Amino acid sequence: MSSEFDLIVIGAGPGGYIAAERAGGAGKKVLLIEKEEMGGECTNWGCIPTKSLLAGAKHYVHARESERFGVTVSGAKYDLKTAMAWKQETIETLRAGIAFLMKKNKVEVVKGTAVLNPDRSVRVNDVLYSAKNIIIASGSSAAVPPIPGADGKNVVTNRGILSIEALPRKLAVIGGGVIGVEFASYFSAVGVEVTVIEMMDEILPLMDGDFARAMRKALKGINFATSAKVTKITPKGVDYEKAGKTESVEADLVLMSVGRRPNLEGFTEAGLDISRTGIRVDEKMRTNLPGVFAVGDVTGTSLLAHSASRMGEVAVNTILGKEDRMRYHAIPWAVYTLPEAAGCGLTEKEAADKGIPVKTATVQMRANGRFLAEHGKREPGMCKVLVHAKKNTLLGVHIMGATASEIIPAAAAMIEAELRTDEIREIIFPHPAVAEVLRDAVWEIE
Amino acid sequence: MATEILMPRQGNSVESCVILEWRKNEGDQVKTGEIVCEVETDKATFEIESPADGVLLKRFFEEGDDVPVLTVIAAVGEAGEDVSAMAPGGGASAEKKEAPAAAKTEKQEKKDETPASSAPAAGTVSAEGRAGVSPRARKTAAEKGVNLDGLTGSGPGGRVIERDVLAAEPSVSVSPAARAAMVAGMVAPARGSGIGGRILSADLAASAAPRTVAAEETREIPVKGVRKLIAERMHASLQNTAQLTMNSSADARELQAYRAQCKAAPEEMGMAGITLNDMVLFVVSRVLLRYPYMNAEMHPDKIVEYGSVNLGFAVDTERGLMVPVIRNADRLSLKAISAEAKRLGKACIDGNINPDELAGGTFTITNLGALGVESFTPVLNAPQVGILGVNGIELKPVQGKEGVEFVPHMGLSLTIDHRAVDGAPGARFLQAVAKELANFRLALAD
Repeated sequence: MSSEFDLIVIGAGPGGYIAAERAGGAGKKVLLIEKEEMGGECTNWGCIPTKSLLAGAKHYVHARESERFGVTVSGAKYDLKTAMAWKQETIETLRAGIAFLMKKNKVEVVKGTAVLNPDRSVRVNDVLYSAKNIIIASGSSAAVPPIPGADGKNVVTNRGILSIEALPRKLAVIGGGVIGVEFASYFSAVGVEVTVIEMMDEILPLMDGDFARAMRKALKGINFATSAKVTKITPKGVDYEKAGKTESVEADLVLMSVGRRPNLEGFTEAGLDISRTGIRVDEKMRTNLPGVFAVGDVTGTSLLAHSASRMGEVAVNTILGKEDRMRYHAIPWAVYTLPEAAGCGLTEKEAADKGIPVKTATVQMRANGRFLAEHGKREPGMCKVLVHAKKNTLLGVHIMGATASEIIPAAAAMIEAELRTDEIREIIFPHPAVAEVLRDAVWEIE
Repeated sequence: MATEILMPRQGNSVESCVILEWRKNEGDQVKTGEIVCEVETDKATFEIESPADGVLLKRFFEEGDDVPVLTVIAAVGEAGEDVSAMAPGGGASAEKKEAPAAAKTEKQEKKDETPASSAPAAGTVSAEGRAGVSPRARKTAAEKGVNLDGLTGSGPGGRVIERDVLAAEPSVSVSPAARAAMVAGMVAPARGSGIGGRILSADLAASAAPRTVAAEETREIPVKGVRKLIAERMHASLQNTAQLTMNSSADARELQAYRAQCKAAPEEMGMAGITLNDMVLFVVSRVLLRYPYMNAEMHPDKIVEYGSVNLGFAVDTERGLMVPVIRNADRLSLKAISAEAKRLGKACIDGNINPDELAGGTFTITNLGALGVESFTPVLNAPQVGILGVNGIELKPVQGKEGVEFVPHMGLSLTIDHRAVDGAPGARFLQAVAKELANFRLALAD
């Protein structure tokens, strides 16, 4: 049996399902193959479930801290079972939404594991499919390094930790990247004693150095062990080396979040050019094989759901003959911790490494009317902007504080449009809005 | 009665010529046979003489204008005569008539301020019947990122002039930073790398390096005439064809021996001038007949194979590369080929080659051997499917009966259009050429 399609998309995550939706919407005959759940890692084991849980944690923290606003709450409790049910409901609603979108755009969906053959046919459940174009959007999985004890029952990755039935007493998080720090923030907020062990000398490597330090201090309830190398995981906790000494932290649950590896199973025999980080692609998401594209985590270029979606659109536009290209210089990122943080564009260090002369300005959130009204002057928060020293174009924005993730798209638009400080100063922001910090910071630039 | 000065016809294939430089200003006295202006065809430059004595009453075109042949470009007569009736396009230049003959510097200023647009309609309508685009408008369009397609011209006969370009919206948006850089002299591509093709300042840097050198240290050479044509053709060739170059070499002992014999031949035989290049031309003209797929042109919908060989050969001139054509080379003797190559080469160098002799080639040879080149990638003279590069003669170790010998070999670099010719057939042709060169005396029997 064989079926002919215009496009086969492998993987129904935010890269794959957006690509399928766009191509289907353009009238193409599309097949979408998914081996697990619609929505992929993002919807089921990543962005959405963690944000659902973090929402509960924020309510819990706010309830306990609301006295200063004139609200007294007694007996505030956090119930994991209810929070997990909330999380599950969110996931299932979104999954159904994606399934509806596929139906609406006449995308055929097949459940199973896809194998890309050297002749570019795709085998799923012993059925062969072929298409003029193929998009590989198979995502990534949590990497588990060969640390003694890493296969222990007390060790989980981002997936396992989302199905625990009881809160641990003490949690050790190996890896101080976005995933590790977000989970650490969540568990810390709901009363778990959390230690983050990070091999580098600072957490959150994508963040501007000043902000990463400030974030570490702002995440008050979490213990951080930086420049620490994990040597062993035991049923009692984690041993690590720091400054030549062996130390250990007690933990009844260990979260392994040291990075991601591309899901390449089923694609290694087709003749694809694969690097250490994933399938190599050009700016139009084309692989070395004609008509075969790769998007999202499997490319190893930008491991963010929104990057994957955009890559999916670029691939489909290329297939449709529309001029489009992937740009990486203004992809916003966000860390949904308490407080949250977000950024876009260059950090000061990146600018220095590239030899770009910059001017910077940083403003404190407490100077912002709405932020002060809603969070008070003790709440940490700041916004930093980087501007090209000669061209005055906006190159980077870093924000720490509530709603940072909702402000950062404005920065992305400004960077993409190559706006200069003079033009940004002419943009009208609503008042009061936390987003005004962006404008204020730009005004601070000389 | 005033006398017309016509743009002369320069060969059957020439439809128009560009006025390079006026040597006489309006109001100047001119004598019969005196040079009035210099014009340029695709490949050669010519001087136009005055057909009568008198005053140069009117110049109907500006320098840089592309004027169809047999169009009136100027009028000579007695001072005060009305020559408006001679104006191409019927008095379109009436307003120019009012202008007094200006000093050279003033004229230059005027040219800088006003579009090169006053060329009358009849002088600008192209062979397809469409109104033309002034060179100045074309330059401005390139700088501003304006798409000329569909632009309505306000010049005579609908000719697109600079003010039309300036009035038009850029076809893609330009970031404010990029626009500022463009004002400072940077050149924009037709489409940028930003959102929806938005032109960013980085795109400008890619197309024109910032001017950091003092103006007096630089020399600007306008890309026009022969250089412009070469630039366009070479770029188009590489963009529109699938070029594959293969390198080989031919035992040159017999070539060298025969050349020595020719040099030593009695003067009355007229063989002394026969060069190694002539021998290559001779061999290729014969071998091509046996490999008709190499004596061919690639067109969008067909490949045209030719039954006789019109052999082009590259000539280095002060104006740039020219490729005159030895017609029916396959029917000429070595001596005749040598004589014809010399005649054509001299005409190219002297700048008086008939443009018709630069057209109609079916295969091209380019020789960089005298410059010590060992191997290179000749660029196809599209739509021809092959070009043979001739390299210097180098000693090559060859296994002989008594061990390794060093034998002089002539390097050969064949570029084929892989759309029309596959690698193996191309290689077979190259092998045959090498074999015949190595056995040149036998080839002479052909």
